[in-house]
Amino acid sequence: MSADTRSPASPRTPVYAFVGNPNCGKSTLFNALTGLKQKVGNYPGVTVEKKIGETYSQHGHPIKIIDLPGAYSLAARSPDEAVLRDVLLGRRADTPQPDRIVCILDASNLERNLYLVHQILDLGRPVILALNMMDLAAKSGLEIRVARLEKELGIPIIPCEAANGKGIVELRLAMSRSDLPLAKHAWEIPAPIAPAVSELAASLQENDGKAPFSARAEALLLLTDQDTVRVTGSKPLHPRTSAIFHNWQKRWAGEGTDWAGSLVSSRYDAITELCSRIVVRKANVGPSVSDRIDQVVTHPVWGWTSLAGIMALLFLSIFTLAELPMNFIDGRMAALADWVKSVMQAGDFRDLITDSAIAGVGGVLVFLPQILILFFFMGLLESTGYMARAAFIMDRMMSRVGLNGRSFIPLLSSYACAIPGIMATRTIEDQKDRLTTILVAPLMSCSARLPVYLLMMAALVPGERVPLLTKVSIMLLMYSLGTLGAFGFAWLFKRTLLKGEPPLMIMELPPYRLPRVRDIAFHMIERAWMFLKNAGTVILALSIVLWFLAAYPKAHDGATTTQQLEQSFAGKAGHTLEPVIKPLGFDWQIGIGLISSLAAREVFVSTMGIVFNAEGSDENTAPLRESMLKAKWPDGRPLFTPLVCLTLMIFYVFAMQCMSTLVVVKRETNSWRWPLFQIAYMTGTAWVVCFIVYQTGHALGF
Amino acid sequence: MSSPEETKPTPLVRLTELPVGASGRVQELEGKTEVCQRLREMGFCESAVVEKVSGAHTLLCQVCGTRIALSDRAAQHILVEQIRRSA
Repeated sequence: MSADTRSPASPRTPVYAFVGNPNCGKSTLFNALTGLKQKVGNYPGVTVEKKIGETYSQHGHPIKIIDLPGAYSLAARSPDEAVLRDVLLGRRADTPQPDRIVCILDASNLERNLYLVHQILDLGRPVILALNMMDLAAKSGLEIRVARLEKELGIPIIPCEAANGKGIVELRLAMSRSDLPLAKHAWEIPAPIAPAVSELAASLQENDGKAPFSARAEALLLLTDQDTVRVTGSKPLHPRTSAIFHNWQKRWAGEGTDWAGSLVSSRYDAITELCSRIVVRKANVGPSVSDRIDQVVTHPVWGWTSLAGIMALLFLSIFTLAELPMNFIDGRMAALADWVKSVMQAGDFRDLITDSAIAGVGGVLVFLPQILILFFFMGLLESTGYMARAAFIMDRMMSRVGLNGRSFIPLLSSYACAIPGIMATRTIEDQKDRLTTILVAPLMSCSARLPVYLLMMAALVPGERVPLLTKVSIMLLMYSLGTLGAFGFAWLFKRTLLKGEPPLMIMELPPYRLPRVRDIAFHMIERAWMFLKNAGTVILALSIVLWFLAAYPKAHDGATTTQQLEQSFAGKAGHTLEPVIKPLGFDWQIGIGLISSLAAREVFVSTMGIVFNAEGSDENTAPLRESMLKAKWPDGRPLFTPLVCLTLMIFYVFAMQCMSTLVVVKRETNSWRWPLFQIAYMTGTAWVVCFIVYQTGHALGF
Repeated sequence: MSSPEETKPTPLVRLTELPVGASGRVQELEGKTEVCQRLREMGFCESAVVEKVSGAHTLLCQVCGTRIALSDRAAQHILVEQIRRSA
């Protein structure tokens, strides 16, 4: 019987929450049930993805499903887990409290998975258990007595294999039931803390207006939840309740009772006892396929070799496979601009559309293929289970700079684009580690720097074509500079600004699975859309502003583009900037490029095109290269000496020249403080390093 | 269990000191409450059997039917009684 009588949503669509450990196949099941009827958003105030989907009961009535982030326990340590806890407890005003809960379990690992279930059964809500990965359990020699478990707990248990589409129908059927039994769920709360639980529960009922059942659950949670993660958007506790809580805390601290520990162990005791009755372990089946793969992949030597191989393949495909669609998008955008030019009258408005809106948004769109390929690979590595192994291998190296293996994945993604990289930091539990990772991620050379590097290399090397060896070694130099910078700064930040506990990593390595292309595709589309929405809107706005700055105030009639630019706000800003960048060997014209590429690094190339008035597209750097090489200082010295080209590349390695990243960092850290700090330290470093390089090079006679 | 317990209790060792390939039964978790709780929730609770699969710096363990990677700083909190030699 559904015990609660509240009515969260006005038309009574039942709301289910999907809950489970990470890697239990929750998303696969969610996708199988909801298909494309999903809405992905964010929980306000925190950067945890909010996934809500819709499906239909067997009678065709709609059912709402909230896919909650995976967690091992309701005691929250990361924002993800805090959201799970708060949604289930109805602490979030922005999300309806779910009426019913579907717990998804990895059947091959029942004991650990049942811990979260045990906590959830405390909530006193109707629960359905989906025993996923029954096939894996059978393969590893486990027999699970489903009927027995059903009898013991008194709730529906659905065995399924989400990856093979088995059990979905049965689950839908169970979810369609109008009444669901409550679990027979009794366990002994350890004696020393039982009075505290009942006192807290009473206060929660009285002062915080909780239902009797969930009050007890909340009281239990308060005792194990260190409350390190206070999430904005959650309702705070009543002062009376927190006073009682602190009293007990003080008392136990005085007596030396390990209340959290004894609660966790008594839960495990109950679970172990339950498992002994329902899980039959057949004779040892020997090392599984996963074990055998792990022997190679986590091997001290072969592990590194395979990781290096996979990374090489990843970058190779990002840079080669993406070329064709990138050229296509580039061509389409150019064609669109030409079309607009042909149908509209010449004038400022037309220029606004073609030179700023289309060019700006096109500049972002061009990176979409690379980002999609990156996400495809990331999804592939994630869904096969390799990602956790990569983090395991990298843990040692990362711990040298004070981070743990989990920071590796965000940093790796940042080689393609810092935005997905920064979004991937959400799984890092420790707030300081997460912030450090966010701060250094943009130092990893992203793909937007490539056009700048390529242009500078073309100007650097005499002759029409850059020899491959030179190209590769300069590229390698730039990438390693950025990587070293990222690790160096991580080391520095973890020792000064974000001093914290030495890193602890406890991470599950899920068994290997065949990848689910459908899930990866979902993920890719979702991420790509988020990227477009975030970056697209910001870039569009900024492109318009920049265009305005370059187009006004108007020069006299008949002025060339170059004269116009010199006259404009941007030109004046370039002149103003010149004293600051002159020690780096840059003049005001490069200054304009630096300013305009604050929006996005690749804009530098197109700005150089305007400044040096080269005809032709961005892709073809040859004519631009020639006019750049003709550029001179007023005293006749050539502007783009090899040293200046090199310095400029180094500047782009370090400088924070990406508005979209700043916006994402602002969103992820919830304040403008960190993005501003990022500009200051990154661009500051860029200036200092460039100053040293240029002045040393100059003194040496280059 | 192989050794007669009443005559000579097996000394407790830290999980970090357990030889690779050997198994141990978790006897005690020491250290900060938060870390211990996390470890328990991941399956390293008292009386659980842990097999150390590999690792010098970052450890790879088999516990509760799952493979778990944990850094040595986390593993130091876990005191085990060795129950099986390395195979």
